[in-house]
Amino acid sequence: MSGHRRRRWVVSVVTAVLVAAALGYLIDDQLQARHRYDRAHASLGVTRHQTGTISTQLAGLRRNLGLLTSQVGSDTTALNQDVSQLQGAQAALAAAEAHVSQQSSQITALRTCLGGVERSLNALAVDKQARAIAALQSVSSSCSKAAASG
Amino acid sequence: MVAAVTLCAGLLAAAVWTDVTAHTRARNEETALAAADAHLATLRHDAALTNYAAAVTTGKRNALQGSITTTLGQLATTNAKLSTTTAHALVQGASISTLQTCLGGVQKALGQITAGDNTQAARDVSTVSGPCSLLDGGTNAGLVYPFDFPDPDVILTGQTYFAYATNSVAGNIQIIESTDLTHWAAVGNALPGLPTWAKPHYTWAPALAQVGGNFLLYYAANVTGSGKECISVASATQPQGPFIDRSTAPLECQLALGGSIDPASFVDANGSLYLLWKSGGPGSSKIWSEQLDAAGTAFAPGATATVLLTPGQPWEAGTVEAPDLVTTGGRYVLFFSGNNWDSASYAVGAATCSGPLGPCTDASPGPVLSSGPGVAGPGGPSVFTDRTGAYWIGFHGWVPGAVGFPNNRDLYVRRLTLTGPVPVVAAAG
Repeated sequence: MSGHRRRRWVVSVVTAVLVAAALGYLIDDQLQARHRYDRAHASLGVTRHQTGTISTQLAGLRRNLGLLTSQVGSDTTALNQDVSQLQGAQAALAAAEAHVSQQSSQITALRTCLGGVERSLNALAVDKQARAIAALQSVSSSCSKAAASG
Repeated sequence: MVAAVTLCAGLLAAAVWTDVTAHTRARNEETALAAADAHLATLRHDAALTNYAAAVTTGKRNALQGSITTTLGQLATTNAKLSTTTAHALVQGASISTLQTCLGGVQKALGQITAGDNTQAARDVSTVSGPCSLLDGGTNAGLVYPFDFPDPDVILTGQTYFAYATNSVAGNIQIIESTDLTHWAAVGNALPGLPTWAKPHYTWAPALAQVGGNFLLYYAANVTGSGKECISVASATQPQGPFIDRSTAPLECQLALGGSIDPASFVDANGSLYLLWKSGGPGSSKIWSEQLDAAGTAFAPGATATVLLTPGQPWEAGTVEAPDLVTTGGRYVLFFSGNNWDSASYAVGAATCSGPLGPCTDASPGPVLSSGPGVAGPGGPSVFTDRTGAYWIGFHGWVPGAVGFPNNRDLYVRRLTLTGPVPVVAAAG
């Protein structure tokens, strides 16, 4: 083998080795890239599945929250109405109790007054004027009170 | 050679291209994964926030619903109280109306008495009898006339009941009338004038008798100058009066015994007429009987007064008075009052008698009618029959809590049973 040919053979071999090495590297690198892809793809699948699940759950939670918020709104309205009714009823009760109390005082005054007027009538009917006057005087304040509240 | 070079170059170029493509896909996928992870994290965060908000809102809702329940409970309680109070106010309003009506009538009567018109005064009170009855406890105890009507005598003439009583609002002797024993209306003053010997304002305890076509009114009047009561008689052609007394002296007058009061007439089965009365005061009281003449205006010739009853029972406390004699089934039953007339201890007793002139013995150791629900100190008994022949007893009584003159002694009537050895007065209610 001549030197020229030998050199060409060496160059060719070296080139072939270099090409083979480059190819090897590229193939390995490509395999790693595919491996990365596969892992990322698989993870992406899991993530997307979880995203779907969470999205569904979140939608349910938001519906529930919306329902609860709506209930709170209607309950707040109802409570306000009930409180308003209660306040009205309490005011009416206070007024009714005051009225009953005033009536009781009036009844007491009327009864006292009636008793005195009857005693006065009976005493005057048998000409016991002093007793008649005394009977009237003893109930004069009750009669005034009864007349004022009547 | 060239071909080999070209092949190698081609192989290398293809390898580089596919490598770059693989890297690009891997990066793209990793980018997508990162974005998806970020999105997932965001969603998880949102879900956590939403969960928290839901928990807070649930708590708020539960608190609100608790408040609503509490408020509704309070509202129900308040409404129930309001309902009760309103009903109470209605009842009290009715009571006030009743009181005002009754008081109005009594005040009018007082004005008429002051003006000297007893008849109108009696009518004024009579018109408010219904409301005043309610105030005196209603009709359960037998209350029928809620005004001062002491020592009553009740009779039935035709279809009408008449009741007479001691002087008060209507005048010397009060008359009221009824067709059903429940509703009574004022008639007026049975005795517009008094005999000259009688002092006004002390005409007590009337008793009626029908003799022939005449109505006789026995009553007690104060003998001027003596300070004592004695018995007289007036007559009329109708039960409403007016009864006229033309006497110049009392019919019966036991001044030495403290006077004579509480007359009662009695007609025996044979038509004989008797007068019963009471003499004396506490400790010396006696119930007497004496036959009257046929006209009933004087005692029968030769007749003498006989003591029927003296106090003998502890409950009587030394006083027997206000007699009323009735005969049934061949038996004679004497009703009378005992104890202090001005107290709740006053009561009605009964004795059985052999005849109109006695002797009499107590039918029971205690009274047959005493203070009870709706009446205090019942007295002045008057036994009569209704249209069917059934026995009734009329009597006066204080309203419990208003005992003693000048409070009212109201008129009561109750059924009476005389079939047993002891008379039975129907219980209140």
